[in-house]
Amino acid sequence: MNFLSLFRGKEGSWKYLFRPYIHLFFLRDFRAGILLFVLSFLYPSVGIGGLVALISTFIFAKFIGMREEWLGEGFYLYNSLLVGMGVGFTYQTTPLTIGITILLAILTFLTTFGIRKIFFTYGLPILSVPFSVVSMIFGLASYRYLGLAENLKQGSIWEIPISPQSPFYPIWATYFAPFFKSLGTIIFLPSPTAGLVIGLIILLYSRILFMLALGGFWVGVLFHSLFVPFGLALTSAFNFNFILVAMAVGGIFLVPHWKNYLWAIVAVMIAVILSDGVGRFLTLFGLPVYTIPFNMVVILIALLFSAIGYHLYNWTPKETPEESLNYFLSNLYRFGGREIKIGLPFLGKWSVYQGFNGKWTHQGKWRYAYDFVIKKNGKTYRNDGTQLGDYYAFGEPVVAPISGQVVAVRGELPDNFIGEVDRVNNWGNFVIIYSPLGFWVEISHLMQNSILVKVGDYVEEGQIIAKCGNSGYSPEPHIHIQVQESGYLGSGTLPFTFKEYIKGEELIYYSLPEEGEEIEAPVLDRFAQLRFTFILDDVYRYRVVKGKNEGEIVEFKVKMNPRGEFYFEDGERNRLYFHQIGRLFYFYDYRGGEGYLKELFKLAPRVPLIHREVTFRDILPISIRYRGWQIGVMEFLLSFNPSLFKEEKRYKLTHWGLESEGGRVKFSMSHKGFDLIEGEEFQLERIFNDG
Amino acid sequence: MEYQKPTINKVDFRLASKYGSPLKEQRIKGEIDGVPVKELVEKFGSPLFVFSQRELEEKYREYKTAFSSRYPNVQFWWSYKTNYLDAICKIFHKLGSKAEVVSEFEYQKARRLGVEGRDIIFNGPYKPKHILRQALQEGAMIHIDHFYEINDIEDVARELGLKEVGVAIRCNMNTGVYPQWSRFGFNIENGEAYEAVKRLYKGGILKLVGLHAHIGTFMLSSSAYRVEVEKLMRLKNWSENQFGVEVEYIDIGGGFASRNRLKGVYQPPEVIVPSPDEYAEAVTGAIYDNYQGKLPKLYLETGRALVDEAGYLLTSVFATKRLPDGKKGYVVDAGVNLLYTAFWYNFELFLDKRYEGLNEPSQVNGPLCMNIDVIAENVMLPPLERGTIMTIWPVGAYNYPQSMQFIQYRPRVVLIDTNGTPHLSREADDLNYVVEKEVVPDYLK
Repeated sequence: MNFLSLFRGKEGSWKYLFRPYIHLFFLRDFRAGILLFVLSFLYPSVGIGGLVALISTFIFAKFIGMREEWLGEGFYLYNSLLVGMGVGFTYQTTPLTIGITILLAILTFLTTFGIRKIFFTYGLPILSVPFSVVSMIFGLASYRYLGLAENLKQGSIWEIPISPQSPFYPIWATYFAPFFKSLGTIIFLPSPTAGLVIGLIILLYSRILFMLALGGFWVGVLFHSLFVPFGLALTSAFNFNFILVAMAVGGIFLVPHWKNYLWAIVAVMIAVILSDGVGRFLTLFGLPVYTIPFNMVVILIALLFSAIGYHLYNWTPKETPEESLNYFLSNLYRFGGREIKIGLPFLGKWSVYQGFNGKWTHQGKWRYAYDFVIKKNGKTYRNDGTQLGDYYAFGEPVVAPISGQVVAVRGELPDNFIGEVDRVNNWGNFVIIYSPLGFWVEISHLMQNSILVKVGDYVEEGQIIAKCGNSGYSPEPHIHIQVQESGYLGSGTLPFTFKEYIKGEELIYYSLPEEGEEIEAPVLDRFAQLRFTFILDDVYRYRVVKGKNEGEIVEFKVKMNPRGEFYFEDGERNRLYFHQIGRLFYFYDYRGGEGYLKELFKLAPRVPLIHREVTFRDILPISIRYRGWQIGVMEFLLSFNPSLFKEEKRYKLTHWGLESEGGRVKFSMSHKGFDLIEGEEFQLERIFNDG
Repeated sequence: MEYQKPTINKVDFRLASKYGSPLKEQRIKGEIDGVPVKELVEKFGSPLFVFSQRELEEKYREYKTAFSSRYPNVQFWWSYKTNYLDAICKIFHKLGSKAEVVSEFEYQKARRLGVEGRDIIFNGPYKPKHILRQALQEGAMIHIDHFYEINDIEDVARELGLKEVGVAIRCNMNTGVYPQWSRFGFNIENGEAYEAVKRLYKGGILKLVGLHAHIGTFMLSSSAYRVEVEKLMRLKNWSENQFGVEVEYIDIGGGFASRNRLKGVYQPPEVIVPSPDEYAEAVTGAIYDNYQGKLPKLYLETGRALVDEAGYLLTSVFATKRLPDGKKGYVVDAGVNLLYTAFWYNFELFLDKRYEGLNEPSQVNGPLCMNIDVIAENVMLPPLERGTIMTIWPVGAYNYPQSMQFIQYRPRVVLIDTNGTPHLSREADDLNYVVEKEVVPDYLK
């Protein structure tokens, strides 16, 4: 069937047809969309209207030759869907109304495209602005179309038969029915029954979203009732706006966090005023407020919070608020969050002479800087320290702390004698490197004529670029490093953290050493890097030598998804996502039930690609730490107390593998990956194809 | 002291500062690892070789870490010729170094120290058959220097009834540095090394297990090692493809520089001497960039860089005089018979304490009655007295093994352990020791 293939996306899936339904509730699973699709036929004209609008949009897009990528941007489809359902809500299904639906779907598409062009320039979300605009215009127009009036709709929806005499009825009717009815109104099914089904679907996917929906509704209603009689507030047809605002602010645009729940409450209260204000205006034209209050509040909040770089803004929305939160906390606690991260500018062991806000020169605009020296037996020099050559740091290699492009260099200033400083050329010899991530790193006081790079060169992190010297305002040889706002010498500095360093026997990630502390720069072990570079379709086979199903063979296959993310997949389609960057291999996500891959995540959440025995700490995501229903409960609690996430686990890296409380893994020395995976209750031993 | 003729010295104010200019500067070293030099001289005499175990271990760890943090299978082989004092060799063997020897004498010395044959690499251009026989029997790894040696080893192997003998060949090559060390092993550029590999397999007994090269000494360029490794890796890959064997290791020899001042080089060592990390980055990077199949083991015969800075020579001022050119002349009790490398390096001279007076151009001469016995030709020193102890540094590499009894007896050697306790490691020569091997022909008696 060629015609049907029109509605299937690139991957031959029907999800693009059903996903718009569930998008309206900020979820993504198209299977839930199918349920809502079926539900929409409770009001057959609404169901048909929505479907007609969707199909028209597909055909229109195909007809004008739009590339399939547009399907990925949900707002084209859900806005059409809403418009179509809106028509179906007001009119019966007749050839005339179907014709109008098709036309309005095209208009919605055009409007969406236009709005997208403008909104994307400013990073604004589209939400249901196109729906509001098109509906408003059609609403106004329809007053002139007397012929249409014949098609106006009568009739009602089937409801759960709860007898008014039943003891539950008063509670249901007062406290639940209005909320569910509002929920249903979002897809033009103003029925408590439909709302209940939708509520259950939301609850199934996200407890946080459900809580926000319910909370948003009641905050809106109660706040509204301060100004209007409670009964009126409770039954207002536009209460669904409060639900949408609370869900969008508290769970989608901002990270689900109790602070942001407070913002959601404020946003709902603002929406109350907006609903009445906009409503007053639109009533003059006999129009409802549609989703205008929701769109206004959410767009304005998203605009402000993203523009100021609010630390709890949700830059990477995932399938559910729970997943967004997990991702956010993982990134924050496991990978240092959104801070600027740089490598150390040296090799070997150095001591911090001055850190951020240092008492000598790291002040004011230049407070985010580090000075390093080499100390042995408590001194920075051998002999009597009167000559530059006595200083351990003098002449030691300086390495690029980031990969990037050299934008400025000075190298001819002489190294001061001990006790002299150059007050004119404070910075001495320096290199400034631009990071494609949008910042600049400056390294100072380099040795005269020791700089190996020139302006325009690309350097790799860890590459030797110069020698430590004593030029500029430097009383003794040391390395000065800072992250700058621009590529000009002496420009303001920005806070940063070091990607990793070794203190004693501990490998510390994304942190800043204290003044006086001695730290060691980890060196990339290219051999380890080779052994953790997994190739697509490689299969790793293990025999279960201990535990359930002893003797069974399990296989992990290396796969990649369209986004370029690599993962191991086992026979039950459990997926363990991994990444390798710099001196680090790590697992970051897991999809599926219980399985050996989940255990592997616990035993080796990250593998430092260095040849050095160290301990390090890592944090396992909630979905790895817990199982089944516990995960749901923990994820819900996490938004109120994010520190629940921060349960550190200690690992020991040896030359052969990783050891932790729960077990160990052994690296393969002649092949890639792990030779042995051993947990408390099981043991997997690698088997090779050649015997 | 009596009246001395005044001299006029130019004082360069441009360099003066409150901490002293190079002119006013005095280099002081009152102690080694916490032991006062005065005490050492009082207890063990002067002159005196002093080795610091702490510095030795520190250097070893520095190099070991630099290489093994980048590469999985690194083995250091202590180069006996650099310093074969038993105590020094013992320390390196304890740290994990195996032995690299270049002669019958060194081979026997290593064996005497309890090093197993299989833990010895036998280099050098001169390996007579009798010592080859012993080495092969004991399983030492022989690095072949020339075609004659291939024949010799085959002969010995047949004699011993050995069916297969694993050997390595030594290669020389152009790595872009001058002078090119071309007299050891087989040349790579003219294809001799490739011919040697073919010749090995033609004989049917020898099997190539390693490749070795030693590109020079006091190498100030880490990139020369990159070139060396690239060429060795190319030969390794070719040999493996050609003969279907696995060349287990590559041995990059020694030659890493220490912080010594090479004569004729203007810049100080901290400016020009590469750090262990720079050498390691160049060497391991070149292996990773060029390997096929399995990664080879990496052998290093680092000598000088590990021991040079751990060695000091204490010497005492015996007399002073004014030389005709106005320079101050000092006679000290250590001469070039102990400091063979004084011909290449300008050592650092430290004084035991601060002395009154301005620095002036001075020359330090040894006790030999030879015009060449100059320790330092032109140094700035304050007026020193008889008994002033000077510390000459760094002298840990080559000086002790090359020191000779010539005019003067050789002095004692002291090793300071990691706790700061000095231990006598070699007694000074005496008349009996020196004449022990002499034989007066009967007719002269």
